[in-house]
Amino acid sequence: MRVPSRTTALVAAVAVQAGLVVVAVAPRLSARLLGDTYAVRVEPLDPIDPFRGAYVTLRYTDFRTENVSSGGDGTVYVPLVPDGALWRAGAVVRERPASGPFVKCRFTGSLNCGIESLFLPQDKAKALERDLSQGGVARLKVDGRGNASVLDVRAG
Amino acid sequence: MAKTYEISPAQLDWLRREVGDWQREGLVDDGGAEAILERYVASRRTTVVRLLSVLGAAFVGVGLISLVASNIDQLSPGLRFLGIVAVWLGAVASAEVLRRRLPDHDAQGDDADRSIAVGSARLIAVAAYGGTIFQAAQSLQVPAYSSGLLGCWAAGALAYAYACRGIGPLLVGITTMVGWFAWALGERAGDGTAFIAGLLIAAVLATAVAVLHEQLVASTLDRFAAPWSVVGGLLALAALFGAALPDVGRDGLDLPAVGVVGLLLALTLAAAAAGRADLQARRELAAVGAMLGAGLLLAAWAPVDEVGTLSGAELSHALVGTVVYLAASVWFAVVGAARDRPQLINLATAGLVLFVTVQSFGVFAPLLSGAALFLILGVILIGVGAVAERGRRRLLEEVTE
Repeated sequence: MRVPSRTTALVAAVAVQAGLVVVAVAPRLSARLLGDTYAVRVEPLDPIDPFRGAYVTLRYTDFRTENVSSGGDGTVYVPLVPDGALWRAGAVVRERPASGPFVKCRFTGSLNCGIESLFLPQDKAKALERDLSQGGVARLKVDGRGNASVLDVRAG
Repeated sequence: MAKTYEISPAQLDWLRREVGDWQREGLVDDGGAEAILERYVASRRTTVVRLLSVLGAAFVGVGLISLVASNIDQLSPGLRFLGIVAVWLGAVASAEVLRRRLPDHDAQGDDADRSIAVGSARLIAVAAYGGTIFQAAQSLQVPAYSSGLLGCWAAGALAYAYACRGIGPLLVGITTMVGWFAWALGERAGDGTAFIAGLLIAAVLATAVAVLHEQLVASTLDRFAAPWSVVGGLLALAALFGAALPDVGRDGLDLPAVGVVGLLLALTLAAAAAGRADLQARRELAAVGAMLGAGLLLAAWAPVDEVGTLSGAELSHALVGTVVYLAASVWFAVVGAARDRPQLINLATAGLVLFVTVQSFGVFAPLLSGAALFLILGVILIGVGAVAERGRRRLLEEVTE
């Protein structure tokens, strides 16, 4: 078997590394590139990730798990239904909805939808936490497979 | 004129003694002895400069990731991403350019690793690659504490390490991979037994990779065997440490999917390695396989009794766990001596002291109290420390001889 040259191996390794960067953020990248925008209600908290700094933890007040809490862990879907100028969550289901926008989540006792963090500089994270004490609105990008990504959050 | 190598004064003293012996035995004449010794010069500078350079590169790497974490909002997320990508690819290119400037750079030897500049550039490259992943995740608001990001950094670091044959990127890759595996298992396992099983599976896998590297004698990749071997020992000892504790495991084993995939991969690699290995390497694989079995049995055997009491079942569990751990640490010390890996001997010694200390508190604390406990523990610690240090020195002397 022919051994690749050092340069070929290095270029291949850098290509693999670049591919892994895409893999690491694939669902959020897909939502940003292919998704539509929806606004939903949220509440904040304010912790820190050692690798990526300060962030606000977002709790989606409409996303309720009563429907799926007895079925064990696994993938669930949160349909989004229009509610005036905003969107709210419909009943969480285990089957992928046939139509309409929905967010794909993992249920492990609580919902993990990939939209629970908003990274900000520490002072802005604290300011946002204050501003959102009465709740706020998050703008999400959601693609056709239910991948979602947070665009921004505002008081309201 | 022959190339000159910088070595430590202690190494040069040893070489002078050896060459003197060779002259007396008639193995080399005066001219030959002089020519050999002219190739080497004593220098502490290299060691100090290397230490400073490695520390400097490590600090730059940590600084780059901290810069990402500081989330500088004066720059747009896209610009920050492009900036860290430029640092990453720039460091990769710089390392390669610096390597090509070295004499004999095509000889696939380890001169590139001995080059301080190349090693530093590679370390910065692998850290900046981690920064690239974290910046991408921050820009796209990937949820905090996602273990997959660390896994992607580890996989990328290992790919780079094998492509450039660099020890620095390999150490970063192994460290991040171990961190990711423990994190992912902790997320999914739900109980101590599955977590311990995961560590033991990773130990088998790391040992198998080390043995496979040892077969590559003609390649520079055989230098990768020692880091994998030390990691295998660290994981096995950490797992057996946990398995011997009374409250960690629970009856039965519920291994998550990532653990099952890891087990199949580890067994496949171990079988492949055993097929090509010498007797010593097969013994190493068999030993770590036995540790996997013993660790699983210990973790799945979890006697539960009232808090504050020590039942016969708990005492038996602690004693069996202690015997298994002692056997494992002695084994890794022996392997360290046989394979000339003092890091493995130090690891086994440190692990043994820590284990005995913790077990003394865990097992004997309910039986003794107050001053008696501290007096006995003090004597035990002094005794264990003295015996372990004596054993370590003897093993190191054997290695040196």
